[in-house]
Amino acid sequence: MSKLNNKQNNKNSPAEEVTRRDFLRKAGAYSAASLTGAAMLLSPKPARATKNVTWAEHFQKNYRLMTDEEKKEAIDRLVKRYSEEFGKTVTVDDAPAMDGVLFGYALNIQKCIGCRRCVKACVAENNQSRGDKQQIEWIRVMRLEKGKFSEKDRDDGGYPQDFGIQVGGNAYKPAGVVLEGQHYYEADKVPEKDAFYLPMQCMQCEKPPCVKVCPVRTTYRDPDGIVVIDYNWCIGCRMCIGACPYWARRFNWGEPDLPAEEMNPKTHYLGNRPRMKGVVEKCTFCVQRTRKGRWTGCVEVCPVGARKLGNLLDPESDVRKILATKKVFRLRADLNTYPKFFYFMD
Amino acid sequence: MFWGWMLFLAFFIMLWGYGEYVQLANGMIVTGLNDQVSWGFYLANFVFMVGVAAAAVTVVFPAYVYKHQELHKIVVLGEMLAIAAVVMCLLFVTAHMGRPDRLWHIFPVIGIFNWPNAMLTWDVLVLTGYLALNIIGGFYYLYKKYTGKPVNKLFYLSVVYIAIVWALSIHTVTAFLINTMPARPMWFHSMMPIKFITTAFAAGPSLIIIVFLLVRKFTPMKIADEAFHILSQIVVWCLGIALFLTLSEIVTELYPSTEHSMGLKYLMFGHHGLNALVPFFWTAMALMIGSFILLLIPRVRKNLLLLPFICLAVFVGIYIEKGMGLMIPGVIPTPIGEFAEYTPSNIEFMIVGGVWAIGFFVLTVLIKGAVGIMLGDVRYEEKARRNVQGEQADAVAT
Amino acid sequence: MISYRVFAPFMGLCLLTAASTNPVFGEAGQDEGKECFESRKGLSQVQQREIKPGVTNVKCSPTTGGVLFWGDPFDGTIPMGDMPVKADYSHEEAVVKPREPQIDRNKLLTICSMACHNGEYVPYPENKLARPLTMHKDIVPDAMQLKHGKEAIWCLDCHHAATRTKLIDNYGNEISFNQPQKLCGKCHGQVYRSWRNGIHGKRIGMWNKGGKKRWWVCTECHNPHDVQQGERNSGFAQLNPEPAPILPKGMTNANHERGHGQDHDGTTH
Repeated sequence: MSKLNNKQNNKNSPAEEVTRRDFLRKAGAYSAASLTGAAMLLSPKPARATKNVTWAEHFQKNYRLMTDEEKKEAIDRLVKRYSEEFGKTVTVDDAPAMDGVLFGYALNIQKCIGCRRCVKACVAENNQSRGDKQQIEWIRVMRLEKGKFSEKDRDDGGYPQDFGIQVGGNAYKPAGVVLEGQHYYEADKVPEKDAFYLPMQCMQCEKPPCVKVCPVRTTYRDPDGIVVIDYNWCIGCRMCIGACPYWARRFNWGEPDLPAEEMNPKTHYLGNRPRMKGVVEKCTFCVQRTRKGRWTGCVEVCPVGARKLGNLLDPESDVRKILATKKVFRLRADLNTYPKFFYFMD
Repeated sequence: MFWGWMLFLAFFIMLWGYGEYVQLANGMIVTGLNDQVSWGFYLANFVFMVGVAAAAVTVVFPAYVYKHQELHKIVVLGEMLAIAAVVMCLLFVTAHMGRPDRLWHIFPVIGIFNWPNAMLTWDVLVLTGYLALNIIGGFYYLYKKYTGKPVNKLFYLSVVYIAIVWALSIHTVTAFLINTMPARPMWFHSMMPIKFITTAFAAGPSLIIIVFLLVRKFTPMKIADEAFHILSQIVVWCLGIALFLTLSEIVTELYPSTEHSMGLKYLMFGHHGLNALVPFFWTAMALMIGSFILLLIPRVRKNLLLLPFICLAVFVGIYIEKGMGLMIPGVIPTPIGEFAEYTPSNIEFMIVGGVWAIGFFVLTVLIKGAVGIMLGDVRYEEKARRNVQGEQADAVAT
Repeated sequence: MISYRVFAPFMGLCLLTAASTNPVFGEAGQDEGKECFESRKGLSQVQQREIKPGVTNVKCSPTTGGVLFWGDPFDGTIPMGDMPVKADYSHEEAVVKPREPQIDRNKLLTICSMACHNGEYVPYPENKLARPLTMHKDIVPDAMQLKHGKEAIWCLDCHHAATRTKLIDNYGNEISFNQPQKLCGKCHGQVYRSWRNGIHGKRIGMWNKGGKKRWWVCTECHNPHDVQQGERNSGFAQLNPEPAPILPKGMTNANHERGHGQDHDGTTH
């Protein structure tokens, strides 16, 4: 009840006295400010803070809507910032899609040995964040067991149990390929005898679910068929990660950890330029290479030549020859995403 | 009492400030999220609060469409709840975004608004519209009461009727946000909007019942028992349908038990030693089923001493079921079959707790003001004597 | 209403703290002199060196020693020359990595004949039955395992008897070690055709038609002296794999995916 008296006193001279509300506000402000200060001192410093982002860069438009001049300005800003950050001459290319090119990819799962060099080559080429805290790998190789056929007590596992359906296989320990792939397999030598391997990366769909759900249209299909992301426009809502049926997209949860000596200085605006925290990234078919006519990092490194990339509009390209002569399939074709990444066996 | 409550909330709001700062400075790596489980605590709370916001309509709907006289008077309190809930939703969304500093990218003209393709843009539209409707409707009514002028029925009722339909849309669109992704088989079914609406209409009125009971206890405002009976009936009907839908989902998924059922099986039984969510599922089921059975008994339902506790059980049960029971297992396993477990980090708890505190803070302030105005304690004539901030306190004092 | 004076020193302090943190620049030095293998371990070694500022010829994997990335795909290559059949690629610039400099790099051939064969080459054997090489085991480590063609082929079916730095075809013509496909394709016709189409094997360089490509020749990937690979019956030797990705936050191990097989009744191991 003393509060009431206080209030009534206030009525008479509201200008002079400090009301409880004011006190609370000040106290709150003090503690907030001191907590903030403490937080800044105590919170872990990101590996490479993009503190040189200028206002101009922050307010730049979506890449597709920029005029040529604006694009040039944006790229100059980036070149300056990256070169400073990484201590080497970084180039940021803005090569547009080549005319008459639609990229297709073919992967020979008969040949893949699961060595994961494609994964690591991609990382070496594309400047992903690495290290213990935040490791981003655009390619994921799954190991699929060929299945065990000689397990004991296999033959009597009915489905449902105890209704006379106990023979002829086992619904709970099925023979044949184990469908659930392993992501963290470790082996001394590959290929292992009882497994085969399925690498997956962005399928560069023709009807990409990620493009459809992006609320700001930062991810889109470029004329050469590559689904690209304007990293400066992404708001980090992660709808695209939810929508992708191939789990192809990755998020920079924190500021990327990219050591300067490992950085690949030949970058492309839509491709492998160093990203910042809070944006999504994924395989871009190495736009920095493919738009200059060169093969991607994964195609080049594969020691068994299982990976092929080519122009789907050129009947003489590898990929077209594969589509013409081999049996190909695509993953989750039932979802009508029309991936341009084909798997074949040879 | 009031100040104690506000101070209590202020503490959590400060924690929210700290948590948001840490998250903005370091990125979302301070959360427990990862590429495998990329949607987590923030979005779970968001989805739940959109439901609660939509439920404000349950107060409005019977009052105006069925001309339930008793509810007329307290409709505006429901609108205040809707405003507080939508504010919470917006805060959860900004906490979930990786780059809230780039929020301007989503506005039309200055940014790109990918409507009608992106479902998220529909959600932005309906949520903003709903907030606007409630602010306009609620404050218009309060302003008229405050100045003692008559309410323009045509204008006000149009706003109310639009809000009724709009409220359904906000939660339907949120459901569409998740059920239009075939990459996530646990969500990809047409039952999702119905499940969302029914769980929302069970949780929302439960909260409204508790809030109204508090208003009855702490202010002179009179709310007839009739209002509570209507609301508790809505709760039990919607809870019943929601449980029926859950049963339907369980049977449909577990009977053939395909790869698409992995999420639900992980939730209910765990997977190869990973069973962090199992206790949550069964607790939620126990709370929901238990409350449902109790609420079926008219004597229990009409007992206003027992009712708040059952409503709390319903609220908590649905919160768990929608958050830990739907949003998290929906992304586990990943579309390519990888299982990863997720525990929110301390920062996430701080931010989520803080947003709830902000919600309750806003709700308290709004309800206090609304009750003051409705009771006639706060009137235009006395404005000269008091400053604007002192009104609500005086409304309690006198 | 509130005085904001109190904020200023605190904000100043915060800003000062922020500004005083400097990003750490990494050194721009490269791993000079690191050696890794391009395809077959031990036989396709390449040294990492800088070819342009900031660009190395290759980048080596720190874990397996394999090459991950070619800064210049055509470094150290020579033209492949014409293929023996008409095809589109003959209009493309095709290069290979020469192996001939490595053959007899120790210049032992002259010494061999002097030391053991009285200045003469070993006479062509009369017994044409295929048999494993018992003598030059140190030169050809897997000599005793030679089961190429299930023992239907032996050394001099492929190697030139007199000019040991060359291979031989059915007409007795020399085939360079740089282009073994002309020899291998004799029997492995389907693979050869597939290779010519770019489907079998490996090429690096420019993907477009007419672009320059480095073709990987047969022996860069396959070891003709050991095609059985023990029990594996495979023409391709096993490799050490690169390490697995790190586990996602919240997971301590990957045991859940190393189950004993599918268990759909929900039981956990």
